[in-house]
Amino acid sequence: MSKGRDRADARRIVEQQKAAERRRRVTIWTSVAVVAVLLVAGVIGWGVLAGQEKTGADNLTTPSAAVDGGTAFPVGSGPVVVDLYEDFMCPVCDQFETQTGATIKQLLSEKKITVRYHPVSILDRASNGTQYSTRAAGAAAAAAVAGKFVEYHDVLYANQPAEGSDGLTDARLIELGRSVGLGDAFATAVDDRTYDAWVTKVTETFSARGYTGTPTIVVAGKRVEGPNRTLPTTAVFTQAVNQATG
Amino acid sequence: MDVREQSARGAAVWPWISTVARLGLAAVFLTAGGLKVTDLAASARAVNAYRLTSYDTAKVIGAVQPFLEIALGLLVLVGLAVRLSAAVAAAVLVIFMAGIVWAWARGLRIDCGCFSEGGELAGGRTAQYGWDLLRDAGFLILAGILLVKPRTRWSLDGFLLGARR
Repeated sequence: MSKGRDRADARRIVEQQKAAERRRRVTIWTSVAVVAVLLVAGVIGWGVLAGQEKTGADNLTTPSAAVDGGTAFPVGSGPVVVDLYEDFMCPVCDQFETQTGATIKQLLSEKKITVRYHPVSILDRASNGTQYSTRAAGAAAAAAVAGKFVEYHDVLYANQPAEGSDGLTDARLIELGRSVGLGDAFATAVDDRTYDAWVTKVTETFSARGYTGTPTIVVAGKRVEGPNRTLPTTAVFTQAVNQATG
Repeated sequence: MDVREQSARGAAVWPWISTVARLGLAAVFLTAGGLKVTDLAASARAVNAYRLTSYDTAKVIGAVQPFLEIALGLLVLVGLAVRLSAAVAAAVLVIFMAGIVWAWARGLRIDCGCFSEGGELAGGRTAQYGWDLLRDAGFLILAGILLVKPRTRWSLDGFLLGARR
């Protein structure tokens, strides 16, 4: 009787050991699986990035009119350089154009400043997947090649779509181009998205310089902002230009 | 007797609490990763906005991070090596919180990029660092529950052990 009990005890102990062993094995292998899955996910992310970079580099067409490492369009010939980083979808940029645009035009005609326009696309997410920021900036590059950047820039802001809407269609972008005298070469570039990869490069240059929001206004290498990092008033902007003029 | 009864009841209830925590944590990571994965350039800019690394490094982090978040979310969802997955999730959350504290301390005015592509805030909007931290702390509690009580219902762990727990 006691022998039978011993045997039952022994069997139970063996089974417990087996179960513990099994648990240990499962824990080890599931842990290995977790690490493997995370590594694979990381490598996929890396691969997707590398693929996107390669596609971007392959499709890069730098517009002939661009300066500053091929990332900006210069307007005017004044001594003070004003760098304007704008997104065509950005309402605050429109506000700046409405508020200070006339002053900029005047300073340009007085040959006090050279404006370098950097059309960036940081608001692609705000157009329901149509990437309006990139398309509009790419179209502006095509306009610059045809020598009509400022005209097209102004008409785009005059017709700015609401942030979060689909944005303007390619057809509408071309139509607006025609309204300022742009021709078939422009239309083809918009349809083919010739300068989209270039817009990505401009945006990366913008980020690499440590800028994160639009509009970013830089006068003679110094960022101009209102109090509390708000949009500078025209007075603040003009003062910065005058200071730089010396 | 009383104590044992109580602990028996606790043993029955904990797997359910942990299951809820597990599914919640999975939803958090899947949402966070899913919102970022469609625009890796924006994700890179969000990382860059913290000004912790060079832009090139931020680009790699920005690309890898959403994929890691989704993978982690899936692992937690199916319940594979729950304790380890929860530990990784907790570590990731602590890193995120450290990032937010860093941005706060340096006076950067950025969207944390937790559930969006983030970036610098436009004039007039203020950063919600306090709320972001509080929310992350809530997620950290979910991960903590799983660290302490990793046994859950409908988990791959349970299935592999062949045990009805």
